[in-house]
Amino acid sequence: MKKLHILGIAIIAIAVGAILSALSDSGTYADFSQAFNNPGKEYHVVGVLNKDKPRVYEPEVNPNLFTFYMMDNNGLEKKVKLHKSKPQDFERSEQIVLIGKASGDTFEAGDLLMKCPSKYNEGEEGFKTEDEMREIRGAEAEATL
Amino acid sequence: MEYIGERLWAGALGNTFVILAITAGLLACSAYFLGVVRGDQSGSWKKIARTSFYVHAVAVLGIVVTLITMLAGHMYEYHYIWQHSNSEMPMRFIFSAFWEGQEGSTILWLFWHAVVGVILIHTAKKWEYRVMAVFMSAQVLLNTMILGVFVLGKMIGSNPFTILLRQHPQFGDVPFLQNPNYLEMLDGTGLNPLLQNYWMTIHPPTLFLGFALTLVPFAFAVAALWKGDFKSWVKPTLPWAFTGVGVLGLGILMGGAWAYESLSFGGFWAWDPVENASLVPWLTLVGGAHLLLIQRNKGASLMWTFGLLILTFILILYSTFLTKSGVLGETSVHSFTDMGLSGQLLFYLGFFVLLGFGMMAYRYKDIPKKKKEDPLWSREFWMFVGALVLLLSGFQIFFSTSIPVWNKIFGTDMAPPGDPNAHYNAFQIPFAVVVALIIGLTQYLRYKKTPVKVFMGKILRDAVIAAVFTLLGAWSLEMKDPLLLTLLFASIFAVAANTDYLVRGIRAKNGAVGSALAHLGFALLLVGALVSQGKQEVISKNTTRYDLTTLDSNYSNAENILLMMDDTVEMSKYNVAYRGKRKEGINVYYDVEYIHPETKEKLFTLQPFVQLNERMGNVAEPSTKNYWNHDVFTFVKYAELEERQAQNEDKWSDPEEYVVKAGDTIYGNSAIYVFTGLNPVQSQSVKDSFGLSQPDLLVRANLLAFDFDTQSHLLQPYFGAKNARIVTFPAVSDELFVKVDFVNIDPESEEMTFAISEKKNKIKEFIIMKAVVFPYINILWIGCVLMVIGTVVAVTTRIKRSWA
Repeated sequence: MKKLHILGIAIIAIAVGAILSALSDSGTYADFSQAFNNPGKEYHVVGVLNKDKPRVYEPEVNPNLFTFYMMDNNGLEKKVKLHKSKPQDFERSEQIVLIGKASGDTFEAGDLLMKCPSKYNEGEEGFKTEDEMREIRGAEAEATL
Repeated sequence: MEYIGERLWAGALGNTFVILAITAGLLACSAYFLGVVRGDQSGSWKKIARTSFYVHAVAVLGIVVTLITMLAGHMYEYHYIWQHSNSEMPMRFIFSAFWEGQEGSTILWLFWHAVVGVILIHTAKKWEYRVMAVFMSAQVLLNTMILGVFVLGKMIGSNPFTILLRQHPQFGDVPFLQNPNYLEMLDGTGLNPLLQNYWMTIHPPTLFLGFALTLVPFAFAVAALWKGDFKSWVKPTLPWAFTGVGVLGLGILMGGAWAYESLSFGGFWAWDPVENASLVPWLTLVGGAHLLLIQRNKGASLMWTFGLLILTFILILYSTFLTKSGVLGETSVHSFTDMGLSGQLLFYLGFFVLLGFGMMAYRYKDIPKKKKEDPLWSREFWMFVGALVLLLSGFQIFFSTSIPVWNKIFGTDMAPPGDPNAHYNAFQIPFAVVVALIIGLTQYLRYKKTPVKVFMGKILRDAVIAAVFTLLGAWSLEMKDPLLLTLLFASIFAVAANTDYLVRGIRAKNGAVGSALAHLGFALLLVGALVSQGKQEVISKNTTRYDLTTLDSNYSNAENILLMMDDTVEMSKYNVAYRGKRKEGINVYYDVEYIHPETKEKLFTLQPFVQLNERMGNVAEPSTKNYWNHDVFTFVKYAELEERQAQNEDKWSDPEEYVVKAGDTIYGNSAIYVFTGLNPVQSQSVKDSFGLSQPDLLVRANLLAFDFDTQSHLLQPYFGAKNARIVTFPAVSDELFVKVDFVNIDPESEEMTFAISEKKNKIKEFIIMKAVVFPYINILWIGCVLMVIGTVVAVTTRIKRSWA
């Protein structure tokens, strides 16, 4: 067998290995019902924070535990334990992606990604109406007096 | 309606330049093409082509100057200017604002193409026609990304000169914009504060110059295939390819340095999709450039050379597609939006895939194949293997980064790997081992054939040196992971071999100094990355007195420390204390003091801060203490941003009563109190302060309170009688958050009653911080610098030699 053949086989084997590892390391997007039907299996669950229910963060007890309630895209609500510090700006989040597994009645999340409203995407937020501009200008004028 | 004060001439001017640039570019492309097809004895095609190219280049410069003028003139009637700048922005950020948006960064890319094109025209000699025809086809297509016209209902490009704010689909209905005098009251939204730093000024131009440089090897490769001349294209392509390696590499590293300095990913590289997207073409370019080098010294593996160089440019286009099409969505910290141009980008991608690989297929039979294999102990064989490893490395990153793309194509819902570091490192570390070994070995291998004995003798010394340093490193850093140790050995071996080669090269005054220096730099970069990342240590373990047993054992990421205001807490070899926050502009700084645990001497203060970024939410930015051999990298994970409200809102728990005699101990919820005794108070001034007169009775109780810090606090509540009515004056401790009220004295049993209540909002101000030590990260930066210097030296030597 020629050296190049050996090289060729090695390359194909490694490339296939890379594809398989990507497929096995990749997570799965799911909703709560799927996650709670398969407790212990890791899922990415997308949803929104329920702002009406309590969010508990007691850093003096445990800075790495934050509890809240999230509703998934089907409207199913579950208690979530995030095993990390409470994300800064959490209440502003528009959308949450949890990474973790279901256990009993709670979803134990090891990580969380947030999508925040951003002017970069929308533009309108930074936009001021005539009245607002007048207010700002008025305030500035007062400040200079 | 007439609008007052709109400077529509600027947009018209810019738009004229856009149309002129596209027309002239198309003309130049066609003239070069026809010059090849029709022949150009008289040189008239060349004349037309060059003239059109210069018109094009001037028009591109005109686009740049117009956009800068609009930014400098605060022309907020234009959506792009309104979106990316405002009146408060200092002028030094004008370039950052220029390329903050997609249109601006496309213009930057066009500009670099124009600059590169000018040089190419004068250096390509007989390759000028074909190379420039290919080059300009790419430039014209890129140029249409800012054309901004609708063809058959599809938008072709997005043009910053034609989109007025009041005509923008998002703002068309805003009543404010119906006011003819709206400009008077309008300010821009400004540059994203996160991007207001010098990195934003230097990183994008470097990266885009790197992008622009990858087009040249592509154009040469396609031109060579087109002409069927597989030899003479190599020499003029080489300096371009290696300049691309240097500049693109520098651009990527700058991105890493920026992330390390001002983002809290926790390091300089996070395998973020956007970082990956520009790393992959760099890897294939490095592979392709080295194959060119073999080609120059000994014809070999032409198919792979063409393939890698063509692939590099296609991957650059692919990375643009990833970042500009919005397909990455939530998988990246970089936020990108779909501007409706992804169809156009896909079309270009397809066009150049067909052009590049189509040409290869067309010439497949004519491309000379190697008749004989390279001998095992030859430089070219191992360089070839190295190039293939780089390709594989790029493939692994490409495949995993493209998961959102596979989801779109195959309708799957795969999420990107939860632990990117583990996922990518599992492949990239072994690849790095092979590459490092090859970088070391090939310095001792000759082209064609090397006598094995001589070779073995030479590498043995470096192998021994590497083994000694590896053992030393393993011992001093307590490294145990066999894979990391293998990489440490391989990269130190590469450092040793290249240092050796460099020294000999300087002595012999030969031209290979640059390459040895660049390889030495790369090997050091590997050592630095390996040690600083592999042996990074999270030192902010929670060491406070608070119970952490509720922590689920599945999640051992107790990697954040709680710092109460003014409490001194042990953290690794420091004592740390949070001293308070201050707000400067839009940043809130948290002062954290580092104290020597024994001498109690203050060592330094770090000020991690949170930027109140109204565009992206609040962004935590790190503060790092640099030592020569390690960095202490810290950032705030959670903190109060606003000043506390005044304490008058105190809420107290219901008091608990304790009946004790002198000498007794009270076991309270948050402290232990020893009641040491009573003192009658006679002093009139004390009585006055309570509003009592001289005949009134007043006694003071002395309680010594110990909290769990075993620090003692003296609490002195008073008990008195005024006009036969009992009055009490409680003692309040701000440190213990308790209120002790002296409510009764039983003279017969000599028992006193104290009512103790606790403050409900008792938590002092605090921050949650993460701190990581990166050992020997300076080796990484030194490696980066050497790599860039080495590349510059290597390229200039090569250019000088080709002039000589």
